[in-house]
Amino acid sequence: MPTITIFKDDFESLLTGARTTNRPVSIEQVEEWLMLVKGELKGHNPETGELRVELQDSNRPDLWCCEGIARQIRIKQQGKMTPYPFLTEKVKPKAKVIVKPGMEQVRPYVAACAARGYQVTSKGLAQLIQTQEKLAEIFGHKRKTVSIGIYQLPKITFPVTYELVKPGETRFTPLGMETVMTLAEMLMVHPKGVEYGGILAGANLVPILRDAANQLLSFPPIINSREVGEVQVGDDQLFVEVTGTDLPMVVLTLNIFSTNLADRGATIEPIIVEYSKRTSLGKRVTTPKDLRKSKTIPIPTIEHALGQELGIKVVKQALEDYGYEVSAGKGSVRVKLPPYRQDLMHTMDVVEDVAMSRGYAEFTPVMPAQFTVGGLSRIEQVSDRARELMVGLGFQEIISNILGSPEQYSGHMRIDETEWGQTVKVDNVMTLSFSCLRQWMVPSLLRIEAASSRAFYPHRLFEAGDVAIPDAAHEVGSRTETVLGAVIAHASAHFSEIHSCLDTLFYHLGKEYRLEPVPHPSFLEGRAGRILIEDKAIGIIGEIHPEVLERWQIAMPVVAFDLNLSQLIGQA
Amino acid sequence: MEISNIIDSLHPLEIKVLMTLSARQPAVALKSEELAIAAELEPSQLSMAVEWLLAKALIEIQAEIVTPVVSLTKIGEEYYQTAAPIERILASARDAAGTGKRLTIGDLQTQPGLDPSDVSKAVGRLKKEGVLLIIQGGCIETTGRSSPTAEALRPLLEEVHESSRELASFSPERQQLIEDYSVKRGNAKEPFRVDERVTRSFVLSPSGTSAVEQLMNQGLVEEVSQLSPELLKDGSWRQKRFRKYTISLRAPRVGTGKKHPYREFLDTVKAKLVSMGFQEMRGALVETEFWNMDALFMPQFHPARDIHDVYFVKQPTHAAMADESILSKVGNVHENGGKTGSSGWGYAFDLQRAKRLVLRSQGTAVSARTLAASPNIPGKYFSIARCFRYDQVDATHATDFFQVEGIVLGEDINFRTLLGLLNLFAHEVAQAKEVKFLPAYFPFTEPSVELHVRHPRLGWMELGGAGLFRPEVTVPLGVTAPVIAWGLGLDRMAMVALGIHDIRELFTDNLELIRTTRGLF
Repeated sequence: MPTITIFKDDFESLLTGARTTNRPVSIEQVEEWLMLVKGELKGHNPETGELRVELQDSNRPDLWCCEGIARQIRIKQQGKMTPYPFLTEKVKPKAKVIVKPGMEQVRPYVAACAARGYQVTSKGLAQLIQTQEKLAEIFGHKRKTVSIGIYQLPKITFPVTYELVKPGETRFTPLGMETVMTLAEMLMVHPKGVEYGGILAGANLVPILRDAANQLLSFPPIINSREVGEVQVGDDQLFVEVTGTDLPMVVLTLNIFSTNLADRGATIEPIIVEYSKRTSLGKRVTTPKDLRKSKTIPIPTIEHALGQELGIKVVKQALEDYGYEVSAGKGSVRVKLPPYRQDLMHTMDVVEDVAMSRGYAEFTPVMPAQFTVGGLSRIEQVSDRARELMVGLGFQEIISNILGSPEQYSGHMRIDETEWGQTVKVDNVMTLSFSCLRQWMVPSLLRIEAASSRAFYPHRLFEAGDVAIPDAAHEVGSRTETVLGAVIAHASAHFSEIHSCLDTLFYHLGKEYRLEPVPHPSFLEGRAGRILIEDKAIGIIGEIHPEVLERWQIAMPVVAFDLNLSQLIGQA
Repeated sequence: MEISNIIDSLHPLEIKVLMTLSARQPAVALKSEELAIAAELEPSQLSMAVEWLLAKALIEIQAEIVTPVVSLTKIGEEYYQTAAPIERILASARDAAGTGKRLTIGDLQTQPGLDPSDVSKAVGRLKKEGVLLIIQGGCIETTGRSSPTAEALRPLLEEVHESSRELASFSPERQQLIEDYSVKRGNAKEPFRVDERVTRSFVLSPSGTSAVEQLMNQGLVEEVSQLSPELLKDGSWRQKRFRKYTISLRAPRVGTGKKHPYREFLDTVKAKLVSMGFQEMRGALVETEFWNMDALFMPQFHPARDIHDVYFVKQPTHAAMADESILSKVGNVHENGGKTGSSGWGYAFDLQRAKRLVLRSQGTAVSARTLAASPNIPGKYFSIARCFRYDQVDATHATDFFQVEGIVLGEDINFRTLLGLLNLFAHEVAQAKEVKFLPAYFPFTEPSVELHVRHPRLGWMELGGAGLFRPEVTVPLGVTAPVIAWGLGLDRMAMVALGIHDIRELFTDNLELIRTTRGLF
């Protein structure tokens, strides 16, 4: 979900079309319009006219820019699509990009076009760069699948070639640097090389764009040449290229970019890309390229999904207001997305666009009428019952993070290398304090004890909640079970005190149990017992070992029990 | 206060003192010590009772007598244990006379425990009494006469050591001696100290007299502070009076058993959902990427599946899934839409990736499992599931948190009934009368809606997100009926209800805070 910055006056001029005067709009109006693009206004600076807009739809990269947002609103207002002849009409490209053999191993695809007649303004340049970054970063997976370069067209001699070179032997002055360096050096010292070099990791040969005068344009997807690839305010002839690993995505990105430039008044000149082998779009691909397929959708499907009769006319109008190309059939519509979109996978996508184009407020809510019976799961019922009993026994309920550290859950408890100490651990650890799931409840309660020595005693605490117990026999390598833990802490806290509580609990849960002595390192020897029902161990009770208390820095005797409720009801 | 009320609140100690004072006929004042003895009270008990009675104006101070009292200082105790300087010097001089040794003042000053001022004071006094002579060269000689001071001092030390005494009880000569050897300003090194002791004597006040009369009239009713089983058993409580308490005092604190306020909030949500016909679902903390994402039609290249968004499990890394048929069904849908009428994402689905184990990152994983387990149609389900996100923890981001999510299945489910359900949530969960529906995006629903409500206390807020599950989600899991997927974002409501501003406080380790937080639901 990208958040972008746009300028209100720039936005207004794009709304009315590049060649007419601005009509200022209110912020409230902007907010309402943003519903059409699943956008939310996050901030507004009245002095600079900057608007911060968050776009939700990760399948609509065409909306992650000022031009795209304005376009969607403009179409709705004007009730018709802006024509983009370079996408829909057959043209004979003048310029050519040649893809040399071997590119398929590294970064196979490229799409490119020229744009003339739009003189770049400072706000326009900021938008171009922002769009370039957002598309490459989010849609292009941090430049891995798609990256974009913009150049000063007059400096380039066609045809341009897209080819592989040895990184140690090729050199130019990259953007942001003063001196000529080899591509290998750029990977090591240039900030962009450091950031994105991983994409080319392991490649002996790396991609470059070179023009017919043997001038290097760029080192995709890392950095442009400073001489050719630094667009400045006032430039009015641009060359745009997109390289990447997924051909439809590369083409779509160029379609979006060229449409944006056209909206700003540029004339787009397509370029022909000549591959050495046939691609899914052929051996010679003219870009930008219309990749749309049409889809026939029965009107009843839309009406059924929306729960409202609309009729073919309303549906057609709604979709046209949203940029679709629509032809009405008998009881159905044949639809085509605009060429800068590629997110039509299922009829339901069109259904949503109908609803958005009409506005959600046009649909009256209806209550689902069918009768269903509500209820809680068995384990939740037992857990709730146990919680009620614990409250009655005078215990304060606690609620803790489940994600914690092995030190808390095992180390402090002296059970590191034992059967009790095994936990589900995180692979991509961010901080050690959140690196494994709890396997029992007592440490969660000792956490409170350690922090609460100044709260008046006695402390009687309990928590009922989920734990994860490693279990190789289980599909996901662990069992999630619901456990009840309880502790009592005060100057004369004693085994029999917590035992009485456990006993009362079992009585009211209607279960027979017995205790069997067990040497458990977390507890004082001879003062700990396994809780058994029908010879099955479902928990532990005892006096916490003083060394455990020392490790937690608790200066008060603590007695505890840990009871597995899932196993108690035989749902393990 | 009415005298009868005063009487009812009298402490037994106070009654004892009053009775003792009234027992002296004709009325005489009693000094503290006399009163203590007569009333058979410890001095500390007496002084408490006297202060209380004075405050209630039941007794009066008749006189305050200031008496000088003699006691030993620390040095006096030392002199008593060993000897006073005058005694030691006399002994040394006699000793020297016996052996014929020369004894000078200098010799005396070097004796341990004697300092020059002690020596000069003692020698001066002995010389005056004619006991010692100072001859040439500072030598000391005894005259053989006895020293009245030295002889009087010893018994005086012994007597005062025994107990402090009033100065007036000594003879004038001894009083003079005490005066000479007592601590004064500028001379702290003396054996005696004279302090002024204030002795108060008390009589009953007029209201004290009438209180005593009433007490006598009440007869021999004994006052007790506590009802006991014995008193109840033999009925003797009828002969007792129960002292009245001062009930306006602050009550002592008590440790209570109670639910955690956040859990209590979630319990109310749970109860609401059950009352609306929702059945609870449970799921596991550790999930496969398959159920957590693939089954929800989130493509394997989706940014939210990145290692910077989800926690991966270290060991085992992958699930051992016995039945892979569901995996390939869902995989087909990702690749080409399968039988759902979708074009799919058009990428090569990685079965191995689907088995990768993660910590559940969204409650919708529980819904996906329910869809695959032949749910009721019509059916309503919910879960309050703990989820984990790879986020830096701060005031608004927790590493693990609860998600309240669910599904509604039925042939009558469509976009408008979806809005109807959200209306119901707005009314029931947030008591909101005004709602707004905004377009939203979730990878697994189409159309998608964000529910905004005007909360009675919070104003406009986002309450939840929902949508119709994409057929790409439901069809491969075996469900052909339309399904609503919904989720409620309740943390903000919970935080306001609990009066906290930092999401980390929901799981606080501060017991005092947990004990004192009141939930206002």
